Amino acid sequence: MDLLAHLLDPWFIGLIFGGTLMGIVFGAIPGMTATMAVAVCLPLTFSLGLVNGLALLLSLYVGGITGGLVPAILLGIPGTPSSITTTFDGFPMAKRGEGEKALKIAIIASVAGGLVSLVALFFFAPVLAKFAIKFSYVEKFLIIFFALTVMAALSKDMLLGIFSGVLGIFLSLIGTYDITNGGNGHTRLIPPGMDYWLDGGFALLPVLIGIFGVTVILEEAELGMPRGQSLKDIEVGPHSRFSFSIFKGQTLNLLRSGSIGTFVGILPGVGGSAASILSYTAAKTTSRHPERFGKGEPAGVIASEAGNNGLTGGALVPLLSLGIPGDSTTALLIGAFALQGIQVGPLFISQNIDTWNAMITAMVISNLVMLVTMFFAIRWFAMVIAVPKQILYPFILMMCVIGAYTINYGIIFDVWTLLIFGVFGWLMVKLKLEVAPFIIGFILGPSAEIYFVKSLESFGDPFIFFTKSWIAAFLWVLIIASVVMSVILSRRNRSDGAMRT
Amino acid sequence: MTISRRTLLVAASAAALMAQPMAAAAQDLPRNVRMVIGSSSTGGDTYQNASILAESLSEHLGINVRVDPVGASEAFKALARDSRGTTIMMHHDQSYLQELYGIEGSPDIFAETIVGPTISVNPGNAYLVPADSPYQSMDDILAAAEAGERVRVAIQPGGVSEIGFTAMRNAARLRAPGSEANIVPVNTGDQADKNQAMWDDLADVINGSIQANEQFTQLPSDDPTAMRFIWITATPETLNKAPAEGLGATSRDDMLAYAAPAVSVPMTADENFTFDKEFFLMFNPETDPALIQAIDTAMEEIYAKGAIQERFLSSFFTPQYRPMAEAQEHLQSKNNDYETIISDLKSE
Repeated sequence: MDLLAHLLDPWFIGLIFGGTLMGIVFGAIPGMTATMAVAVCLPLTFSLGLVNGLALLLSLYVGGITGGLVPAILLGIPGTPSSITTTFDGFPMAKRGEGEKALKIAIIASVAGGLVSLVALFFFAPVLAKFAIKFSYVEKFLIIFFALTVMAALSKDMLLGIFSGVLGIFLSLIGTYDITNGGNGHTRLIPPGMDYWLDGGFALLPVLIGIFGVTVILEEAELGMPRGQSLKDIEVGPHSRFSFSIFKGQTLNLLRSGSIGTFVGILPGVGGSAASILSYTAAKTTSRHPERFGKGEPAGVIASEAGNNGLTGGALVPLLSLGIPGDSTTALLIGAFALQGIQVGPLFISQNIDTWNAMITAMVISNLVMLVTMFFAIRWFAMVIAVPKQILYPFILMMCVIGAYTINYGIIFDVWTLLIFGVFGWLMVKLKLEVAPFIIGFILGPSAEIYFVKSLESFGDPFIFFTKSWIAAFLWVLIIASVVMSVILSRRNRSDGAMRT
Repeated sequence: MTISRRTLLVAASAAALMAQPMAAAAQDLPRNVRMVIGSSSTGGDTYQNASILAESLSEHLGINVRVDPVGASEAFKALARDSRGTTIMMHHDQSYLQELYGIEGSPDIFAETIVGPTISVNPGNAYLVPADSPYQSMDDILAAAEAGERVRVAIQPGGVSEIGFTAMRNAARLRAPGSEANIVPVNTGDQADKNQAMWDDLADVINGSIQANEQFTQLPSDDPTAMRFIWITATPETLNKAPAEGLGATSRDDMLAYAAPAVSVPMTADENFTFDKEFFLMFNPETDPALIQAIDTAMEEIYAKGAIQERFLSSFFTPQYRPMAEAQEHLQSKNNDYETIISDLKSE
């Protein structure tokens, strides 16, 4: 079956439409993720066949990653882990009445990032895969370390931010140093009597939606019953209207963020969340107005969304060129191939050219469906903020609980994790600790530990981090630049604050 | 002809009975059964085998069997919590090997669960070397260790990946006592990590599988990612049950050339080491024996029909049903054999 035949197949096209819409819904509901959407539909690929099954799963993937921007912007709750950085500027924009504008910016940036990564996937997959294998434990650790330096850049108070980030790393290491990650299978940092519940540690998603979702609800509960917002609140005055002129001067940001997302995607084991974090940091540290980031800067939304959608094509590069998934969602896609008895490896593309073309086609169409659907449904999405909070927040809490319970196929401790970290997040705000560096530390901590320990185990030389390769040297340049920029920014903020007082 | 209400009722009842021929056998089974598996991946062989069995059980018994990939630790916890028979577990040899290798928190499955029937075998457990490796055979590797050369083997410690490594060290010890110290582990994580260890020149040999690595063996030898099989641990009996065309460009005959007896990794003076990665069920020890028996009987009937065998073979697995009693004896015997090898190596 050639490309045209796929395009004329109503079943193929229908699955892409349905998958994209369902993915958007999953991504848009706090507690539900793109990974969950793909996991739910994976068994369907038994009966759909490989090409149609993949069309459905890839569309769910694209829709799910993108759908996460809706609650991130309107509620300050990231729909997916990769949308965390979208909350930094999207939510402040929504709070000052620019919700619609922020949503439109994010959607266009998402499509741009997705298309950048698809171009890279289609034309350069084997070349990129060959480049990806040059990244050993050392280079992967340095990338994670580079992403961790963003903690300083994102902090209002650098010391408190770094403390919060280190606390996040510490809590992420509780549990077993898992043998499936090359660990020794021993448990560590578990309080006495808690081994039964904590041997697997705290799961990421319940922590994330607890910190962002439950904390927001508790803070709102403290305020009592404020006046609900109305639809007018999301678009106040002509100055807040969306116009394509916002993207003027953002071409570089779009291309860079899409490329960073793609690049992080091609490195197995680095983790999807690092894509948007690195894109956001790059945008902030190279901006002429870094002080505007975190306060509702459109460039921050563009970087975050182009970065996380750049991941979608990038993560397929190692999957289809080496048989190695680039992130947790593409790990599920391997299941679709396996269930159909198809080998995925370095010969996949050349031996399955029809399937390969169909996959690229499905992702391009899915990106376009996502653009049209979300762009014109924004008013409907935005209605969520007009829902009275006494109705909205209990519903969000219910979805968070359902999401936490189902993410690991029914583990009740994940619900407790959600509630514990909800209260913990609320206390963090009271204690003036910083949530963003904490969660970044929590996400990246386990990978940083594994790659650090494995680097030392494998090479037996602590200087290997500096001497391993030109890639390592280049990453050190980026790390030092990021730290220096953070320090300069922090000092400038402090002197601005002093001048105001 | 007039149709009375009673006639309609009888007809409807008969239709319902015909639609669910196994309802009688399954009447004591819960309507929903959760099959937890010892892997958290949906892309691995455990999920694939579990899915095939779950679908067949669902169809045959008229119940809903759902596969939950929760990972070994959570799966054992879920099994221990539920004695009603609504949770069953499927895993492979890793479940007892972990305990033999002393992995923290690993239960003794023969004491803490009821080991159920075996399901299938993945014949793909293999060891590979880079395409340009000086080692052409396992004999070369053992000879290198004997000559004092360090041979680094990338494995995931504490299970199926390590058992072949243990066998290599045992074979080196039999050949030249003390030379086993030259076969050293490189502890990695999943298959991607093992491959990367080879490409980074951190490992001379890696554990892998026919399914995951076969395409790398078909690459031109100057490709930096190209590999060669050097040992497939499956028994020749299991490999002979695989389709003759094999997998990818590697035929069954090609595979047999890398397995015993063509490749010799001695376990004792007169016996080669072989390892079949077998999938089997486990039950909570307090579950009603009638429920367990109902599942065992259902599996016997499913395998007697023959359709499930085709499903397994098409995914390059070997169907291997052993009734519960036979399976328990077989797996206990395997456990004892490996325990001897592991403890002999530890004691030196």
